[in-house]
Order: sequence, then structure tokens, then C-alpha cells
Amino acid sequence: MTTPSKTPPGADPKQLERTGTVREIGSQAVWSLSSCKPGFGVDQLRDDNLETYWQSDGSQPHLVNIQFRRKTTVKTLCIYADYKSDESYTPSKISVRVGNNFHNLQEIRQLELVEPSGWIHVPLTDTHKKPIRTFMIQIAVLANHQNGRDTHMRQIKVYTPVEESSIGKFPRCTTIDFMMYRSIR
Amino acid sequence: FLVLQAAIWQALNHYAYRDAVFLAERLYAEEALFLLATCYYRSGKAYKAYRLLKGHSCTTPQCKYLLAKCCVDLSKLAEGEQILSGGVLNKQKSHDDIVMEFGDSACFTLSLLGHVYCKTDRLAKGSECYQKSLSLNPFLWSPFESLCEIGEKPDPDQTFKLTSLQNFSSCLPNTCTTLVSNHNISHRQPETVLMETPQDTIELNRINLESSNSKYSSLNTDSSMSYIDSAVISPDAVPLGSGTAILSKQAQNKPKTGRSLLGGPAALSPLTPSFGILPLETPSPGDGSYLQNYTNSSSVIDVPSTGAPSKKTVSRISQAGTKSVFSQSGNSREVTPILVAQTQSSGPQTSTTPQVLSPTIAAPPNALPRRSSRLFTSDSSTTKENSKKLKMKFPPKIPNRKTKSKTNKGGITQPNLNDGLEITKLDSSIISEGKISTVAPQIQAFTLQKAAAEGLMSLLRDMGKGYLALCSYNCKEAINILSHLPSHHYNTGWVLCQIGRAYFELAEYMQAERIFSEVRRIENYRVEGMEIYSTTLWHLQKDVALSVLSKDLTDMDKNSPEAWCAAGNCFSLQREHDIAIKFFQRAIQVDPNYAYAYTLLGHEFVLTEELDKALACFRNAIRVNPRHYNAWYGLGMIYYKQEKFSLAEMHFQKALDINPQSSVLLCHIGVVQHALKKSEKALDTLNKAINIDPKNPLCKFHRASVLFANEKYKSALQELEELKQIVPKESLVYFLIGKVYKKLGQTHLALMNFSWAMDLDPKGANNQIKEAIDKRYLPDDEEPITQEEQISEFGTDESQESSMTDADDTQLHAVESDEF
Repeated sequence: MTTPSKTPPGADPKQLERTGTVREIGSQAVWSLSSCKPGFGVDQLRDDNLETYWQSDGSQPHLVNIQFRRKTTVKTLCIYADYKSDESYTPSKISVRVGNNFHNLQEIRQLELVEPSGWIHVPLTDTHKKPIRTFMIQIAVLANHQNGRDTHMRQIKVYTPVEESSIGKFPRCTTIDFMMYRSIR
Repeated sequence: FLVLQAAIWQALNHYAYRDAVFLAERLYAEEALFLLATCYYRSGKAYKAYRLLKGHSCTTPQCKYLLAKCCVDLSKLAEGEQILSGGVLNKQKSHDDIVMEFGDSACFTLSLLGHVYCKTDRLAKGSECYQKSLSLNPFLWSPFESLCEIGEKPDPDQTFKLTSLQNFSSCLPNTCTTLVSNHNISHRQPETVLMETPQDTIELNRINLESSNSKYSSLNTDSSMSYIDSAVISPDAVPLGSGTAILSKQAQNKPKTGRSLLGGPAALSPLTPSFGILPLETPSPGDGSYLQNYTNSSSVIDVPSTGAPSKKTVSRISQAGTKSVFSQSGNSREVTPILVAQTQSSGPQTSTTPQVLSPTIAAPPNALPRRSSRLFTSDSSTTKENSKKLKMKFPPKIPNRKTKSKTNKGGITQPNLNDGLEITKLDSSIISEGKISTVAPQIQAFTLQKAAAEGLMSLLRDMGKGYLALCSYNCKEAINILSHLPSHHYNTGWVLCQIGRAYFELAEYMQAERIFSEVRRIENYRVEGMEIYSTTLWHLQKDVALSVLSKDLTDMDKNSPEAWCAAGNCFSLQREHDIAIKFFQRAIQVDPNYAYAYTLLGHEFVLTEELDKALACFRNAIRVNPRHYNAWYGLGMIYYKQEKFSLAEMHFQKALDINPQSSVLLCHIGVVQHALKKSEKALDTLNKAINIDPKNPLCKFHRASVLFANEKYKSALQELEELKQIVPKESLVYFLIGKVYKKLGQTHLALMNFSWAMDLDPKGANNQIKEAIDKRYLPDDEEPITQEEQISEFGTDESQESSMTDADDTQLHAVESDEF
């Protein structure tokens, strides 16, 4: 593609949640940042509010580290970025790395954003096209639009696929008739 | 002094608690411990009553009872027990001692004691207490209900019967005056009939209590509101005479339970005869008409010969011989006393017969003393209403159902009965007329009373049978029994909620939903039972209705756990599990003894994969209510997820022991048995499940998958074909059929079914289906192209409609096929 077209915005992740196929598990992880301006830190990144954001305050690459207590299956990452409001703070090159700890990270995805204006869905799959299982995810902002130094990130969500019972004996049903009888509440 | 007391009772009757408390505190400076404690308790400050009574030694049974009640309310169960029965360490009083000590209030005392025992895990003793309480006073419903809930099977026929006249009269207050507490104003017509039984100060207090907002839990559960129905025989005549049978309506949806007016003179509180002096006050319900009636008949106020203080609330002390029977006219039914009077028989069982309370009735010659039997007479509906009203605190649940039908019978026969109080008819003259005659021979009054009570008993029996069936999860039978109640009883909140719950337990959610929406229509203030409705809507996935319900309930009553459970269910349906968890935790905060909130919270934790917390929640639910089979099921599910199959089976089995007719449970057990490799047993269990409930498609599905796993492909296919007819849109069915065909080697059919399955389920089990199809590719070289084309075709179709998650996957497919 010669002329980079703008990255189209993805669907609101809430819709994803409503399908019942994925679940947001950011709350089960420990989040840390490479740097941040006071008042613009992890809380603002995870507060479900698109008005607040994280602003980094150091040198590139800026890192967001997500560490889980146990090895977790992650299907999708959703990042909200908006060029119109963030201009030169908008990330343009993002690298996603996974591993067991800081010394063990491997890049699995790199994406280029061109003037994004909404949610970006980053499916994380391994070589067999299955969702990855990992202890840690690191999102690295390698470059910003207009060569900005610091970056703004408004929201990040992490999704895991909803597991059906291990044996698949109670698989997800599609009709209400089946679902009614599926469990006792 | 007496004037002060009278003033205090008047204030209590009018729910003017601040006035009452102030005056009582002044009086207390002089005397009257019990009165002050009562004022505190009724105004909702149980802790004040508790500390006050503790500070002084309580010698009178009433003080003891009130103190015990406060203790139970404040969760000081050991103390409460000690007060009532001597505690764990000391020598315990036997039930007979208690009966002797508390006299007429023994039945309530025993009921309270039973409650304490059950809460502290001594179910045998608890049930003994409840039984005794019921034998003393068959008008009580809550001991019966508690017995059913702990799993005992009390026999309604044995329980709800009047054994002897002695009993009967002992249940009712002895004083001559009859108290009719007109608690409620029927929706339709204000009714005021309150007969007051002088003796029962406590009783009346209770009634007041009910109307007040105090935590009237145990009393209420004891069928608080009572319609005091006392057939009063002229005071001079016989001390025994008419007790007033106070039918208390349970605040909670229980049918009216007669509450026996607390004993005789002995039970009277220090409040006393002065009441006689008091102007008639409207009984707490404060019917306007009532007031009027009373004031008109103020002349009637007399201190009964027995001198029993009439309850202030009732304020009616009938003169010798004249008892006013106030009929509560609840619903449109009005008793036609005259007609009735002679007929004893036909008593309008059905609510259909309108009973007309006419002034003339009041004047019937036999002016039996006012008879509270009014309660009976009034249409059940009215009585119900009334009783309902009595319990202002709780949404009336089913008021007197019982009384209605039978009482009508009996009541009607009583001439005096009614009524006149219909507000619509307000006829003070009636009252005065009612007073007229003392003539009524006591015997006649007595038999009438008895007849009325019989009527009530038979209603109680039916309801008891229905409730017992429901608690033992014989849901079909319960529905049957309850549907045969007379229609005016049937169409009340309590009965319909029980029926709704029965359908819910049978997993017939559509029916249940229908019934519950009817309940909402007729009694939209009712919260008890609404948590089941919310879960029904959750199963049916009706999110709009569910969110309307939860909004309405939380607006109405933020202190009820049911409302918060409904709200939690609403958000859970929207898959906002964190918010749902928050609401369920709120429900628990509001009422830590509400087992269902724990269960629902446990389910939410399972959905957020926090299995340890879920385990804790389910265990809490079981701690609160060991017969809560949903919690046992929840534990089973968690162990199943963790693949601890034998533990899972054990827990499911426990749940099944409690609720043997649940086909869903049987289905789960079947699956677990299959996982444990006990396939034969699994098939048996699944067969049983299908027999119980042929409409459960999952049972058939699982049976088919067990057959498939055992390689009985033909039978599996047959099963699945049947299932296809029942639920044609379920993708899993096609998926399984596809797998079977694949095993049978019929690849075309297999692929066809897989593609149908994918069609029907764009978002869901794609992975499984795709995997199944992928495996398909490898062995067969000739067909890959066509197959992939097919798949990609479907893939691309889907990608257009499906959600984001699928887009990538299906696009990948499409990309691959493009390469060919």
C-alpha cells in the first residue's frame, strides 16, 4: 500500500463483551508504566473514561507492562487512540511483546497506526492461530505522530476468551431454549 | 397515670412514635417499663428496648418476651434463648414450663424459641418448639412455614385443626370484649373493624408493631397482623367466651394466621383498665371510618367486666354483651350478616358472593356481641385486605386467604358480624346497635365462632398442603393444590408467588414469567418472591423486562435484598459482571441471612473465573440455609470446572436429594457420570431426566453425545434428529450431527451440518467447529478445494455480519482460499 490510509476505528469493545465470547481481565493484572506525568498514570489509563489518559514523561520507548498472576490466555488487546485530540502525542508505532518476565519478552506483533480515531483491536495469536498464553504483556510505544516525544494513551483493555468447560460438555448454546436449561441459578 | 397510659396507647395507635416515646419516657420516670420498651420497639429502635429491658430485671412474661424478641432482632441469639428457656448452660425449662409461664403468649414464645434453635443449628429442638407452638395455636402460620423450610413435613391436616373448644378459647383472648383490629383498610373500601380485645395488650401491641415500621420480624412472621376476630360474648357472661381470634395475617405473605390473643388477664400488661376510659380510638390502621365508628360508639366503651385492659389500639371495649363487630370490608365483598346469620352453611366460599354489610346487620336482634368473627364474615377478600393493612409494614401478601372462604361461612352466620364498618357505609349507628344485645347466648356465639374458625382452618390446611408440597419440591402437586384455592385467595400475591416459584423450579420459565407478571400487576408493592422473577427473566434473557423490574424494586425499597438481587441479575444478563457482583454484595449487606444473594454472588464469581471466592459464597449460602439446593448445585459446577468429577457428582447428588424432580440437575449428574466413565449410569440418569421433563432439550442433547462417545452412532443420530425437530435453530445440534456423520464417514453430510452449525452461530463456537472442519481437511486430499471453498464462502458471509472477533478468523480463511 503506497498511500497509508488512516487506520479505521474498531468497534466499541463493550459490544465484544456483550457477545459473551470474551471477558475483560485487566483487573486481574498488575499494571505498570515506564514513566508518567503525575495525575496521568495507570488509573487514568484503566478508568473506563476516554477523556482521561496516560501521559508518559521520559524517553522512548514508552512501556506499559501488564503482569498476570498466572499464565493467562489473551485473545485481544484494545487500545484507544485519537489523533484529533492527541495530535503529536498519538502513538504511531506500537510493539506488543509477551513473555514470562521482563527478561523474557518476545515481540509478537507490531502495528503501525496512521491517524487513528478510535479503538484499535489487536488480536494476539500465536503461530497456530490460537490466543496466546502468557504471564506478561508489554506494550511499547516506539514512535509517535509528528515525532512527538511523549505519548498519550487513553484506554487499554485486555480480553480473554470465555472458556467453556474444559471438556466442552456445556458448550455455548445459541438458542434461548438450550440456554434456559443449561444451568440452575 | 392511667391517663398518661391511655395517651401513650393512643399515640402508638396513630403511629406517632415520637409522641409515644416522649410520653412513655415521662411515665417511665414513674413506672411502666414495659410500655416504654414497647414504644421503643415499635418505633423501630430495637436496641433501645433491648438496653432498657436489660437494665432492669424483667419479671413479667411480656417483658421477657419483648426482650427476647429484641435479642433475636439484634442477633443475640444466645441471650434470647437464655431469657426464654434458661439458656444452654443452665437447666433448661421444658416446653411445658414455658407454656405455663407465658400463658397465652406461649405460642409466640415457642415460635421465637424455635427460630433461635433453627438458627443455631439445633433443628430437632427447633422443630419441636414449632410443633408445640402450632399445637397451642393452630392459627399461626409462620411456625408451619419454618417447619417446611427446614425440611420437616408437618401434616397440615393435623396441624390446622381445632382440637377442642378449650383450645379454641385459649387461643383467643378471653375477655369479653372483642377486639377486632381493623387493621387494614381495604383498598377498595376502608374498613374498619376492629374489635378490640381488652386483654390483649400485647397482641394489640403487636398489631401496632406491625403497622409500625419496626422490625417486626418474628412477630410478623408469626402472622402478625391479626385480625382480631373476637367473638365477644358479653363480658359478664363468660370469661371464656369469646376470645377473639385474631387472625394475624402474616405480614409476609402468609395467609392470615390467627393469632391468638395473648392470654387472659394475666397477660395483660400494666396498661390497663384505663383503656376503658379512653375514647375509642381508631385502631392503628386508622381507618377513618373506624374512627368515626368508634367515636360514635364511644359510649360503648366500657371496661369489660373482666377489666382487662383493652388494647388501646382497639379501643373498643364493648359493653357488656355488646360487642361490636366490625367488619372489615375488604374487597367488595361484604358480608350480609343477616343472610348469613342463619345460614351457616353456605358461607360464601367463593369470593363471589358479595357480602353486604348493611347497617341492618348491625341491628340484628341477636346482636351478638360484636364479634370479631367479622373477620370471618367479611369476605375473605376484605379480611384479607384488612389484615393486609394491618401489616402495613409489609406489603400485604396474602392476607387472609384463609379466613375468607371459611370465615365467610362462619362469619356470615354471625349476625353481628359485621359490620357495618364499611366505610362506605359508615354507620355508626350500627355500632351502637351492635351493642345492643347481650342477649346472644354465649353458646351461639361460641358455635359461630367455632364455625368461623373452622373455615379458617380449612383454608390454612389447603395452603399448608400447597406450601409443604412446594418446599419438598413436589412442584406439580403444589401447583395443583394451590390452584384449587378459591379464586379470591388465588389472586393474591402470596399464592401466585408460590405458584410462580413452583413453575420456576420445574424450569417452566415461560409459565413462571406469566404468573409473576400477574403478581406485579395486582400487587406491585410486593418484593418477596421477586428475586425468583428476576432470575426467571434472566433465564429467558428478557433484558428490558428485567431492567424495568430491577429499577422499580430498587426505587421502591432499597432495604430489601430482593431488589438488589434483581438489579444484580439485570447487570449479569448484560454481562457486566463487576457491577452485578457489587449489587449482590449489597444485597448481602442489607440482609446477611438471605441465602439466595450468596448463591447469585457465587454464580457471578464463577463467571469471572474467581472460583475460590465463588466456593466461599456458595458455602455461605449453605450455612444460612442448608436446604438451598442452588448452592449445592453451584459447588458441584465449580468442582466440575476444576475437573474434580467425583466431588462434583457428590454435590450434585446432594442437591438432587433436596430437589428430586429437577431435570436440569439430573442432566448435569448424567454428564458428570459420563465424565467419570460411568456411561451406563449416565444414560440411566439422562433417561430419568427425560422422563421427568420431556421438554428439556439439553437432556436429549447430552444423551446423544454420550451415545456418540460410546459409538452408538445410529441411536445418537436418531436422538439428534428428534432434537432438530424440537429446537431447529440450535447450532450445537448440527455440530454434533456433523461429528457423527464424520465418524460414520459420510463427509458430505458432515460438512453440510458443520456449515449449518456455523451459519447458526456466527459468534460462538466457531473455534470448535472450525477445528472440526480443519481436521477434516487433512486426511482427504481430493476434496480440500471444494471444502475450503465452501467454508470460505460461509466464512466471508459470516465475516460481514459477525463481530470483530470473527472478522480476523474468517478473513484468514478467505485469504487462504483465495490462494487456491
